Amino acid sequence: MAYDVIVIGSGPGGYVCAVKAAQLGLKVAVVEKRATYGGTCLNIGCIPSKALLHASEMFHHAAHGMDALGVEVSAPKLNLEKMMAHKDATVKSNVDGVSFLFKKNKIDGFQGTGKIVAAGKVSVTGEDGKVQELETKNIVIATGSDVAGIPGVNVEIDEKVIVSSTGAIALDKVPQHLVVVGGGVIGMELGSVWSRLGAKVTVVEYLDKLLGGMDGEVSKQFQRMMAKQGMDIRTDAKVSGVEKTANGAKVTYEPVKGGEAQTVEADVVLISTGRKPYTAGLGLEEAGVALDNRGRVEIDSHFKTNVAGIYAIGDVVKGPMLAHKAEDEGVALAEILAGQHGHVNYDVIPGVVYTQPEVASVGKTEEELKAAGVAYKVGKFPFTANGRARAMLATDGFVKILADKETDRVLGGHIVGFGAGEMIHEITVLMEFGGSSEDLGRTCHAHPTMSEAVKEAALGTFFKPIHM
Amino acid sequence: MKEITCKLLVIGAGPGGYVSAIRAGQLGVDTVIVEMAKPGGTCLNIGCIPSKALIHAADDFHRTAAMAAGRNAMGIRAENPTIDFGRTIAWKDGITGRLTMGVAGLLKKAGVKMVVGRARFRDGKTVEVETETGQQVIRAENVIIATGSAPVELPMLPFGGKVISSTGALSLTQVPEKLAVVGAGYIGLELGIAFAKLGSKVTIVEALDRILPLYDTQLTQPVAKRLSALGVEVLHGTKVKGMSSNGETLLAEAADGEERRIVADKVLVTVGRKPVIEGWGREELELDMDGRYLRIDDQCRTSMRGIYAIGDVTGEPMLAHRAMAQGEMVAEIVSGKRRSWDKGAIPAVCFTDPEIVSVGLSPDEARAAGREVKIGQFPFSANGRAMTLSAEEGFVRVVARADNHLVLGIQGVGAGISELSAAFSLAVEMGARLEDIAGTIHAHPTQSEAFAEAALKALGHALHV
Repeated sequence: MAYDVIVIGSGPGGYVCAVKAAQLGLKVAVVEKRATYGGTCLNIGCIPSKALLHASEMFHHAAHGMDALGVEVSAPKLNLEKMMAHKDATVKSNVDGVSFLFKKNKIDGFQGTGKIVAAGKVSVTGEDGKVQELETKNIVIATGSDVAGIPGVNVEIDEKVIVSSTGAIALDKVPQHLVVVGGGVIGMELGSVWSRLGAKVTVVEYLDKLLGGMDGEVSKQFQRMMAKQGMDIRTDAKVSGVEKTANGAKVTYEPVKGGEAQTVEADVVLISTGRKPYTAGLGLEEAGVALDNRGRVEIDSHFKTNVAGIYAIGDVVKGPMLAHKAEDEGVALAEILAGQHGHVNYDVIPGVVYTQPEVASVGKTEEELKAAGVAYKVGKFPFTANGRARAMLATDGFVKILADKETDRVLGGHIVGFGAGEMIHEITVLMEFGGSSEDLGRTCHAHPTMSEAVKEAALGTFFKPIHM
Repeated sequence: MKEITCKLLVIGAGPGGYVSAIRAGQLGVDTVIVEMAKPGGTCLNIGCIPSKALIHAADDFHRTAAMAAGRNAMGIRAENPTIDFGRTIAWKDGITGRLTMGVAGLLKKAGVKMVVGRARFRDGKTVEVETETGQQVIRAENVIIATGSAPVELPMLPFGGKVISSTGALSLTQVPEKLAVVGAGYIGLELGIAFAKLGSKVTIVEALDRILPLYDTQLTQPVAKRLSALGVEVLHGTKVKGMSSNGETLLAEAADGEERRIVADKVLVTVGRKPVIEGWGREELELDMDGRYLRIDDQCRTSMRGIYAIGDVTGEPMLAHRAMAQGEMVAEIVSGKRRSWDKGAIPAVCFTDPEIVSVGLSPDEARAAGREVKIGQFPFSANGRAMTLSAEEGFVRVVARADNHLVLGIQGVGAGISELSAAFSLAVEMGARLEDIAGTIHAHPTQSEAFAEAALKALGHALHV
């Protein structure tokens, strides 16, 4: 029997694509190499890291955040094993949820390594080495991404002393000194976890700022806040070696602009320098599927590769490596395969950094607008002037809205602050509507909420804020 | 004292009043604002802000107490948390102090003159203010009445002694051992839950057979469940009769006629708020009323030319953000801009545990309005972010027209859902259809994904349930 669609990989892109395609009446199978569904995101990425981020926030808050409120508590104790159990339970309920969705939507799951034999043919090699061959009208490559390592440096990740994010969410004790190589989203999130649980954390970053492509003002204030929280941040630093030592590991780096090399000793080193598309063993070469110059599967605007009947979505193709981008591609592709007209608006994809405070962003940064020569206006509003933020002792951060100078259409929104990841969505919906900063500023916002700062920033974009 | 003449006079510096004054000042309108207490009104001084501060502190204390009792799923243990309630109140007072000073600073920055004292209309264009240094007469082309509201007093339970209003509850110097709350509306529940978390034994007396009567039971059920987990006793269908003759015990009558005696250190009465329509010379004017409120049109004009009214004094919903939006609009009208009230959405938030949000029409209201509706409800138990926060209780619900999928209302209940209210309001305000919400990428993993999923569910194909 032939399937309508076989999806290789059951991460957020793959499983959502499968569910959507099944909902639209297609006969669907999913091939997954891992023992559980859900991919990096659910098993070793977004979800377990958020469980640890939240738990470590609670711990840190119990120790430091409450004295000012008149709540006095002796130093809280950490039971790391139990915290990890909370994380594992969270992961389990999420991956079980995906199995349930497959069953509910009558999707066949195949455990094993998927390989494209040719257009219309996928082989699955089980753990026992048995191979079965499946036939299908369409193949969706949703194999995601893997840890990239440091370009030009030979690093042996053992997931105990030198770890990737996978090892960093499963340490069995709090390291005394954690060195994070790469101050992007993953490094700063996991660095925060261990910093809050008591580790000294040093971040070594190649660029002159943290969080790579984020808005300049945002990353500047973010860096200041992280330093204030006790992280030792070293930017403009090019790592030239990561080696294991008798008591741990050491990281050697030199200034990007040239100069003397320095070495830091660590109990644990986290390599968080980025991720690369995962295509090994997939049979792409044999099937004749073309990759681009960065090793990503090349697709057209309808997710089609150069081989008829083979499609690709998610981290394995171009665009931001974000679960929700992959999910939306999955939905759009399922719709296309069912004869509908799915599409993804790449201009409006929110991004969230789950540090404390959180950072969230959608649309263009100020730097991007400048580079593109767009005339724009800016509205900003700090949480220090927001009543709810004061009542929660969460006054760090600000909201920044960027709008077209002529038309007032909102082009970008950036929030640093407690709960930024949830607040960004009103700007996201607004941008999907092509709304103006006046639309945003004239929408009644509940009082007292932190979201009032979004309204005020918007008021400031087209005229003046009230509360500044 | 020399008379002041101005283009705009605002009476009352609560959220409605001070926002209208600031906006008018920014627009170059010569503006005076009169306030008899501190700027900021009920909201900043004795309402929204201090209550949220107390709720936040109570949450923190309660969470830590759970850690100490070994009831923390995340493996965090703490020992002997205590609360120095005097310091909590001092912290809260610090916040309100800074905010009211902030408002004063903003008024000054916008060029608004502030007069402190009680205002009284002499006629439609003239107001007298009793200030500390004597009587000040102000003549104005336009006047905005923004006198707000006050707690309703029950005749058999007058405020005083053990019987306190929300104002009193926010300035207690110690946590009462036993607290009785009369009225299970949002104010009573917000404060009742906060004190329960701070260690009070709380009993809530409600005349109706349910809590939060303005919300449907689906939305209130998680709050009811939480109340019982916190050990709060809720007496439904029970009417208060007054205090016992020695003033120690609250007397009430259950639905079956049986007398209930509720021992309490404090009795908090939260049975609603009434507009402040007396004490400022309404009798000198010819203002049409709308029930107990001042009647206004869609530009907040009263029945007298040049006199506007905004905020709680103009009716329900009595919400600070409605007053602010009205204030902003009237300031713009006075400055010569063309404006009228066309808000499609005024969010309402209940800062209970869990929080409740409602924007636009509920399913029942939509049906009552003769609409055929599609409803999508998505539970936080199927949301990854909620799981990681140990906050799986609750859901997001979207109500849309069945024929064209226009979103009519959005409701939800869950931890931290108050901040999702902004996205809900914006969707209703912009006239979103279900497809618009479902077609907007929501970041993963966030609680907001439940919003997009609820829209998908209403369309018949949620992805994650």
